[in-house]
Amino acid sequence: MTGSSFDTLEAAVADEHFPDVDLMLRRGRHIGRDDGADYDYLVDAQPLLEAFYRRFGCELVQQSDGYFYLLPLSDRLGRRQLSASEMLVGQTLALLYLDPATLQHGGLVSQEILLQRLSGLLSTQTLVRTLNPRKRKYDERIAAETIRGQVGEALRRLGDLGFIDVMDDTRVRLRPALMRFAEPVRGLQEPSAALERLVARGEVLVDEGNVEEEDANDEDRAP
Amino acid sequence: MTQSDPSRVIASLARDQVNVDLKTVDLCFLAGLHLRAEKAALASFDEDVLIDMFEQICDVVEPGAENPRKRATHAIQRLRDQRMLARVDGAGVVRSGEYTLTRLAAAIVEYFLADEALTRESLTLLTGTLRAQLAEVLASARKANGEDRWRRDVIGPLRVTVSDLVAGIERRQRGLDTQQEEVQAEIATLLSADWFSAVARCQALLDTTTDTLQELNEVLLRDAHHFVALLQEIQTLATSASETEAEETIQRVIEHVDRIAAWGAARQRAWSEYYQYVHRYLRDVVRLDPDRALSQRLRDQLAAWPSRHFHLLIARAPSIRLLRQIESRVERPAVARIRIDRDIEPVWVDTENMLAEIETAVAKAIHDGARTLADLTSAILPMVPHSMHYLATGHMADAVARLAVVCAEYERPWRPVLETLEIEDWITSGSGGAP
Repeated sequence: MTGSSFDTLEAAVADEHFPDVDLMLRRGRHIGRDDGADYDYLVDAQPLLEAFYRRFGCELVQQSDGYFYLLPLSDRLGRRQLSASEMLVGQTLALLYLDPATLQHGGLVSQEILLQRLSGLLSTQTLVRTLNPRKRKYDERIAAETIRGQVGEALRRLGDLGFIDVMDDTRVRLRPALMRFAEPVRGLQEPSAALERLVARGEVLVDEGNVEEEDANDEDRAP
Repeated sequence: MTQSDPSRVIASLARDQVNVDLKTVDLCFLAGLHLRAEKAALASFDEDVLIDMFEQICDVVEPGAENPRKRATHAIQRLRDQRMLARVDGAGVVRSGEYTLTRLAAAIVEYFLADEALTRESLTLLTGTLRAQLAEVLASARKANGEDRWRRDVIGPLRVTVSDLVAGIERRQRGLDTQQEEVQAEIATLLSADWFSAVARCQALLDTTTDTLQELNEVLLRDAHHFVALLQEIQTLATSASETEAEETIQRVIEHVDRIAAWGAARQRAWSEYYQYVHRYLRDVVRLDPDRALSQRLRDQLAAWPSRHFHLLIARAPSIRLLRQIESRVERPAVARIRIDRDIEPVWVDTENMLAEIETAVAKAIHDGARTLADLTSAILPMVPHSMHYLATGHMADAVARLAVVCAEYERPWRPVLETLEIEDWITSGSGGAP
């Protein structure tokens, strides 16, 4: 007895929420408690849908933080790795998510705060090299403009993937799915060991050496 | 309250360069005066009382400050310039003045001193009074039988008593908004300082505010419904009596009541979102990381970014490719227009010089003995196209003035020319100008 209101996979697929939820998961979106009915549907149909997606070479993962996502374990359905800019912005947002100061505004963070935190953590040179690796020489003003542009673009993509809610041009609301970026350091074990475990699970790809990132659009790995 | 155009009000404020600049010592001075007035039931203050109060304030705020008396004089002038203190004796230089706090000063001091947040007790009291007042207005409206009675017994109480009560609720709602912001800041501060140990206190703060909001919202929803029902009944009576002014006043009060009712629902919704967010944070972040090590580890991970980085993998199924329906190719005619030679060959036409022709005709008419401008114009005008009559008349007058000796009476008579024109007539007497 699973406690699910769906007896069969057919009933789960016939539910009105299935098409939207299925499309969101396949497009890499993280569905959390904030998504209301879609999240409730996934909780309800989880045992049936896990088996369903396994046939496509994917795992339907539910995290204790309260969100679902589809983890591709093979190339059957198509997958991509997040770009360096998305990773950098994502980790900084995760740091802000953990900060009690963010709590005062109910998880709302302005782009300015994000940029301040980023520039406090990493040097301008590292930021420029990460966010615009093709540029060998840079002017300070142009570099700042590039960083702002790339961060804005990364926020838009992270919003599409359900890590954040983009409220307007300047503010975003942080969602629990951001904790995926903190996964290698969440446990008590060594970060490198944790990273190895995540690589083995197919959650992450490790890139040793300098950042030579292609644009996210070029990173698709077609089935 | 006057219903002025906001743009005009703002423009006039900007024109007058309105500003308020109060230092801590000024605020404390005003607060001291306010408290003194309340305690001793004073309506105004002598100059000596003001100076004495300022010196006391100075001892607390800026101990050791030199020339407190001189500073008091400057402070009083500064506050008078900013419309915080008003002189009420009108004695000028005859004797030392008597001063009172203005409405602006009282409002500022009350904001800092009064704890005017909405509570269940204050809300119940206010809504009870409001309901009684509205019932009284309704009874008056039923009996009102003239414009004066409507104005005195309905419009007046609605504008003053009822509006003040509703505004009182709204003011306390803003007070509660400020309290909520303070609770949010306090939760963040508690967690920053004590992290895991602060969980219970944060939870208590959250629960207290949630309960307060829930209670207030219930009272507001229930009572606002009664208020609107009473107001609509008064409005129906005003409509029957064709009292437009009363109708408008009631409508404004209804909108005000709707606004205070909507506040409850909106704040409860917003607080609910905040509550869930904080609750989740306490459960997923604070309780799972009691030593607050995760933030530091994540910071270290970010700091090591260029040398060791990883990428999350996510699903990305390509979009389904939609093939078009097969359909036979439709030959659409090209958009074109018929080719024709649009260049028109030039043709010879007679020259047109109406002015010269008019002048010749005028010279001939004068020569033939035309005696007045009206006769001359009537004779020549039929030769000119109808559309040019007005213009030609002017040219004829010009030609007559140049070609003949013209004289006119002091009051020149108006004479009809053909059927459509009338001109001031001149008498011509032979050629006198250039040929």
